[in-house]
Amino acid sequence: MKKLLVILLSLVMTFSLCACGSKTETTAQADPCEGMTWDEIVEAARGTTVSFYGWGGDEQRNAWLEDFYVPYMKDKYDITLKVVGMDINDILSKLSSEKEAGEDENGSIDMIWINGENFYSCKENGMLYGPFTDKLPNMSEYVDTEAYENNYDFGKPIEGYEAPYSSAKMVMYADTAKTGDALPTNADEFMEFCKANKGKVTYPEVTDFTGSTFMRQLIYETCGSDVWEGVEADKDAVQEAMQPAIDYMVELNQYLWQQGKQFPADRGAMDTMFANGELVMGMTYEALQVGTEIEKGNIPKTVKSFEFADGMIANTNYMAIAYNSPNKAGALVAINAMMSPEMQLSSYEEYKHLTILDLNKLDDKTRDAFNAVDAGEGNLTLDQIGTNRLPETPADIVPIAEEVWRECVVGK
Amino acid sequence: MSKADRKPYMNAVLILTLVIILLPVLIMIVWSFTARWPWPNIMPESWTTRTITELLYGSNDLVSILGSSVLLAVIVAVLGTVIGLMTARATEIYRIRGRRVVSYVALLPLIVPSTVFAMGFQVTLIRMGLNDTMTGVVISHLVAALPYCVTIMMDVTASVGDRLELQAQVLGASPARSFFDVSLPELLPGILSSASMAFIISYGQYFTTLLAGGGKIKTLALVMVPYIQEGDRALSSIYAVVFVGSALVVFFVIELMMHRAMKGER
Repeated sequence: MKKLLVILLSLVMTFSLCACGSKTETTAQADPCEGMTWDEIVEAARGTTVSFYGWGGDEQRNAWLEDFYVPYMKDKYDITLKVVGMDINDILSKLSSEKEAGEDENGSIDMIWINGENFYSCKENGMLYGPFTDKLPNMSEYVDTEAYENNYDFGKPIEGYEAPYSSAKMVMYADTAKTGDALPTNADEFMEFCKANKGKVTYPEVTDFTGSTFMRQLIYETCGSDVWEGVEADKDAVQEAMQPAIDYMVELNQYLWQQGKQFPADRGAMDTMFANGELVMGMTYEALQVGTEIEKGNIPKTVKSFEFADGMIANTNYMAIAYNSPNKAGALVAINAMMSPEMQLSSYEEYKHLTILDLNKLDDKTRDAFNAVDAGEGNLTLDQIGTNRLPETPADIVPIAEEVWRECVVGK
Repeated sequence: MSKADRKPYMNAVLILTLVIILLPVLIMIVWSFTARWPWPNIMPESWTTRTITELLYGSNDLVSILGSSVLLAVIVAVLGTVIGLMTARATEIYRIRGRRVVSYVALLPLIVPSTVFAMGFQVTLIRMGLNDTMTGVVISHLVAALPYCVTIMMDVTASVGDRLELQAQVLGASPARSFFDVSLPELLPGILSSASMAFIISYGQYFTTLLAGGGKIKTLALVMVPYIQEGDRALSSIYAVVFVGSALVVFFVIELMMHRAMKGER
């Protein structure tokens, strides 16, 4: 009798699970903000909650969001902003799981911090809401909508599916107490520099964002920044186009840490080695990082940022809205607020994030406030960061170039 | 075993083990307040208090995160152990049909890689409407903890057996009373290790919590791991110290309660 009961119970439980599993596909929903004026959108968003998903490993960014952005949204728009720190890969796997499960209306993600390859694949797979940037007043008011970076993300058209959040530029840094003040300004000098500091320079593996960007930077340095023009996203074509860079990087290997047989797994590992004094040089996509690290006391004051004379890769971070966001109006208002001069200035002052606003479009007082911010010790000047910017590699070429690097450069 | 008949080498092994376990924790405590510690300095070059400030007054409310992590792990420990005990009694004492299948199936979550597993599991949770909820996270942690709970409980149940329990019933005790008064005290050491195991597994889950909880259920591991990935050693260390310390406190409390319970029984 007991056995029978056990078997029956387990059967019932299995079936109830199966029953929950079947759910019919829903069709793509209509745009809830269609035809609404901005005031109506703001009104619709009042009293709602917005979930903002983005990378959570930067304590200063976390602190700024909690101390400035969250209260700003509450006070001004009565929106409760929930900041959820998550790696972009996990965010996307979450979003695609929701799509797979047929959760097309009540997703858990409203707003996403995104760019590059991730944006491209999300947009291609219909996981983003849009186009929406034409609805945002601050976009037309304060942003240079004609600028390349506001129309193309890693060479792929944005078409209104994401709005700029902050700006970034790759810079290199070295401890001048160990290397001397003469820092390399081009690929040849960089080779000499590595020779002089043999075994004390490296860059992260290309799976890492910083490592991948630095590889693309070396490709630009050796093949010219127009290297990808007219190149198809095909492995042979990419390899052929970047051949001079492959030769250069293979030659460089002998002077690198571990003779280029191994590379640090990610930027974190490289930063650690630099802080330990194992490396004399590093690179970062946060152009003002050196100043904040000196301020924290993590690195000595003799560390200086530098860049190649022909320019460094620069890009923009963006904010997008999930296709199944239950609160699109709220997300629109939150994104618009992030692009406001107040928030952009505050994030620039508090944690040194470069603004995406067109300073010429701001009133004098705000512009002066932007210009008055001290770049910080060891950093390049803001003029240097603002100019000499090279465009990113097209999103579909990036993974192919990384694959070529793995096959032709590591340990060669 | 009294102190007198403990062999001297036993003490040496004990001390060595303690050093091996405690030394890294000590180094983490030092790292928690280290700004810069370049090789080959024996002591850090400069110190910082930014970590303690971030921990106590930073963007995360430490008390509520600690509270929810401990609560979650305790729920998982209790449920995991109860399910483990019931499974063990079903297979070891009642000898249900297919008991071998049950014991293999219980180990399945260990065999399938947890990332693969977690993603499929997430889809199921979304369909059931349990994603981003505490219940969903508890279920996903239970799946991770059950293989250990079931295995541990099967071993102790098999060794304790049911003969004393039957004896009690022959003497007139009800099945419930004979279980609680006779078998349970014998099972206590097993229950303690099963609960501790489930607790620490749940406490340390990152990926499953992230997927099942959608980042909205915040645990200590969820806050700590991004800092480790980012390579911020001071901040990672202070979170790791809090992690280890809080787990130890909970273990101590569990141990104490079990001790009391056993004293009460006898």
